[in-house]
Formats: sequence, C-alpha cells, structure tokens
Amino acid sequence: MNLALFIHTWRSQRIKILIVFVALTVWGALLPIVYGTFGQTFKDIIESGLIPEQMTQFGGGDIFTLSGSIALGAIHPISLVLNSIFAVGFSTAAIAGERQRGTLEVLLARPISRRMTYITLLAATLSFVGVAILATTLGAIVGSAIGGVLDELAVDKLPLVWLNGFLLFGAIAAIGLAASASFDRLSPALGITVGVVVVMYFLEVLGTFWPDARGLQPYSLFHYFQPKVILEGALSATDLALPAIVALAAIAWALFEFPRRDLAAPS
Amino acid sequence: MEAIVTAGLTKRYGHAARPIHLPGHGSAGEIRALEELSIEVHEGEIFGFLGPNGAGKSTTIRLLLGFLHPSGGSGSVFGLDIVRDSVEIRRRTGYLPGGIALYDTLTGERLLDYLANLTGRPPSRRDELCDRLELSAATLRRLVRDYSRGMRQKIGIVQALQHDPELAILDEPTEGLDPLMQRAFYGILDDLKSAGRTIFFSSHVLSEVERVCDRVAIIRRGRLVALEDVEALLDRRKRNVEMRVMGPAPVLEGVPGVSNVAVADGRVTCQLEGDVGPFLAAIRDSHVVDLTIEPAHLEEAFLELYQDEAEVAG
Repeated sequence: MNLALFIHTWRSQRIKILIVFVALTVWGALLPIVYGTFGQTFKDIIESGLIPEQMTQFGGGDIFTLSGSIALGAIHPISLVLNSIFAVGFSTAAIAGERQRGTLEVLLARPISRRMTYITLLAATLSFVGVAILATTLGAIVGSAIGGVLDELAVDKLPLVWLNGFLLFGAIAAIGLAASASFDRLSPALGITVGVVVVMYFLEVLGTFWPDARGLQPYSLFHYFQPKVILEGALSATDLALPAIVALAAIAWALFEFPRRDLAAPS
Repeated sequence: MEAIVTAGLTKRYGHAARPIHLPGHGSAGEIRALEELSIEVHEGEIFGFLGPNGAGKSTTIRLLLGFLHPSGGSGSVFGLDIVRDSVEIRRRTGYLPGGIALYDTLTGERLLDYLANLTGRPPSRRDELCDRLELSAATLRRLVRDYSRGMRQKIGIVQALQHDPELAILDEPTEGLDPLMQRAFYGILDDLKSAGRTIFFSSHVLSEVERVCDRVAIIRRGRLVALEDVEALLDRRKRNVEMRVMGPAPVLEGVPGVSNVAVADGRVTCQLEGDVGPFLAAIRDSHVVDLTIEPAHLEEAFLELYQDEAEVAG
C-alpha cells in the first residue's frame, strides 16, 4: 500500500466522512429510540390484525424488537443512500473519475504501479465503508441507551453485525472500484454499480413484501445482510462468506484488468 | 549511454466492431498510432520530438512511461524495459503531461508536497524552480483552482522537475507561459543540460525546438520521417537569397547549392543550400549593393517533410 496516496485520499474525504459518520450515527440511533418509546404500542396494533403481516417487516427488520429495529435502520433506504456515498460514489470515482479529470495521469507518472494504486484505493474505500458501518453500530448503542433498552441489546454480537454490514458494503465498494478500474469515464462505472445495487435491493425488498418473489432474494447481496438474525444469536456462515466471495471476485477482476489496460491520453 | 532506445516500437488500436477508413490507417477497424519507431536519445541531450496533433507524439511518451502497452517492438529507458520496469523508469523520470490536470482542491504547496511524497525523492530543486518561474510562497499557499493557466503550467513544470530527475519528458512545456516565463524555462533547460540531465521535449512550437534542442525527431502518421541534429537539418535547408546589383548580374546557374535563380531589374533572387563558398565566389566579381540571405528555420524543414501530406489533403 502506498502511504502517501492513502493519506491524501483520507485527507480529501475527511469532511465527507465526518458528515456521513454523524448522519449514520443519528440514523442508527433513531429506530432503537422509536422502538424504546413506541415499540409496545406498535406491537399491540399488529396483534390486533389491522395490518397484514407482510407489511410489518422490511428487509428482515421490524419495529417490535430491538434487534428488528436495528436491522430496519440498517436496511432502510436512508441507510443505503448514506452508506453508498462511499461504497458507490467514492469507489466508482476513485479511478474513473480521476481518469476523466486527467489527474490519474499525474498520479501514475509517479513510481507507483497500477496494482499498488488500486490496492491503496481499495484500502481507503474499505476503511471509509468500515467507518460508516461503525457509525451505524455506534448509533444502535446510543439509541438503545437513550430509549432505555440497552439491557435488551446483545452488545457482544455487535462486532459480527459490523462485520456483516462491512462485508455487504465492502462487496458493493469492490464492485464499484472494479468498474472504476475498467472504464475511462465515470458515468459507465457509476451506472453499472448503481444498477447492480438497485436491482439487488429491489429483489430483496420485493421478496419481503411478496412471498412468491422470495425465490429471487438469494440473488441479492442484501439477502445476506442479517443484523437481526445475528443479534438473536443465529448467524449463518453464508451471510459472511457470500459477500466476501463477491468482493474477492471483484478485486481479482480489478487486479487483472487495471494493469493490463491501455490508458490513452485523456480526451 | 543512451537514455531512451526504441526499436520498432509499434502501437495499434483495434476497433473490430467499428470500421474506420482514414488516411494513415491500416485495415478496417485498426488504428496505427505508432509504426516501428526506432530512435535513440543520448544521455545529457535535449531531444525534440515534433509532429502535428495525432502524429503519435503522446502515444510514444505514454509507451515510454507504461501508460500504454506496445503492440510490437521494444523500448528501454536507461536500459530498463518499458514494459517490465515501468515503475523504476518513472522513479528516474519527471513527466509534464500536455494540458496537465491538477488537484484543484489542494494548495500549490500541498500539491507539490503530495507529488514529491509519491515520487519518494526529496524535492531538491523546488525552491530554485519556483524562484525562477516566479511562483512566490503566497502563490503556493493559494488553491490550485484559483490559478491561471500559466500558473498551472508553472506548477506542472515544478512537479516534473522538483526531484531532479535524470530524464524529463516534457509535453508542450511552454503552453500557456508568457514570453518572459518561456525565457526563464529555457534557462532551466540549459541548466538541466549542463547538469547532465536528459530532456525529451515534445512540442508544436518549432522556434523553441530549434532554440533549445540538440537533435530532433519528426514523426508523421505514427512514422519517423526525420531524425538528426538540428544544426544539420538547418544546414540542409534552402535559404532564400536576394541581392541588388549594379551592372551585369552574376552567373549563378550551375553554381553548387544554388537553384531557382531569377533576375529582373538588377534584382537577383535564388535559393541557396549547404556551403555558401561557391555562391560567394560566383558573386565576387559583381557589384553587389545589397545582399540578404534569410536564415534557415526548422519550420521550413518541418513543412517540407509534411508537404506531401498537405498535397494529399488538398
């Protein structure tokens, strides 16, 4: 890893990291607070049968348990958007964006190989993703404490929840960075990565609302993001292994493709 | 020792699904960006690399620096292979890209620090370069996005040379510089040459190539069409001669090196190539009241080499 590039990358993103960290901490805290305050009320409404059961869950999360509320916050579109700032936005711009602006020229004129450049940018991207997931996890603790339900929280399971989230968004970031290393312009890299994320998210959410579509869920990486299951002590190794395999495949592709590409003069 | 050697260096781009039929292009779908370029750049010389847009200048530079992979032939820089040893080549090279793009959100100083850190060599010449290019400390503390085009170019020159590289590859280095800064830049090149550094100088500006370069290569449609000393190239140029004479005009037909002789109303014009001795001997007995021999310029040599292309285009 090239330390100068890594430090430069972190320095250039520090304000964004701070904003995302605060936003995800607040968001991560919100649903445990809502659960602590209104959880029993919601439960009574559901038990009354007024709302169909399919509508009480979203992406494996709910509002009737602490673990469910944490999972709901983690899979919610707001969380997805905030985490995608680095997992999609930064990763796709890291190489293709610099290439489009012409600054990759200046970087690669230094004695640093393309593989090393990629590995350093991958390390930076994954560190951003890790910090963002950490903010969500921290928010869950803060929210549980504020909501007065900290004693219900399986704190010892939180590192696994963090790891599960990190692997999901790390895999997305690896796909984004692989796309970034494969194109000369930002738009195709961004388009492909956003497309992959939207389709996978749609498949997962569709399956939670429509039982007939559940067969499509295993094709979505989001299906393997199971904070509620982990907090309730029933972790499946597949939930960690599959995102890791996808990430490794994307990394292998980028390590193969990026050094072999011709980088013609920016137009 | 040679700083740069290329042997039959070739770069073709394939576009199988997109047939292209343009002059200078090979079979449909294939662009010949560079064809069998063989040059040697000596250590310690300033080597000019001339050609119009699309001739293959940038392709050559990008092959030397490992941005592109050759389709054929080979190349080396300081004996290092351009494919296998690209990182080591870049460690010993400073590169100024044409139309350089910089990180706009950094200050000039931080940008130079960052690029020096990436290079891994101390920026031993930075202060001197900034001083000569009139980049003050106050200027370096400003964000790059606030810089004018000329200031960006100065930063580009400093980043390429601040670590005192053994080889500087400069693509259109004076673009955007005012005449005073151009002069300062030529002084920097002279100093680098005196210090034994090698400079590979790509430019459209023929007058500056003529001024600073020891040798020049001219490429056209990806092929080398000339490679020789600037002096030798100029010596072979036909110079325009005009003189006014009193009395009979000198007999210039058949004089070695003289051609296109025209005489009218005491005014004699001709073209002169090579040694001026025979010409001077031929006019010695004439009463010449005025004589002008225009100096040869690289531009004429360049235009002559491109003449057939212009005719084809015309």
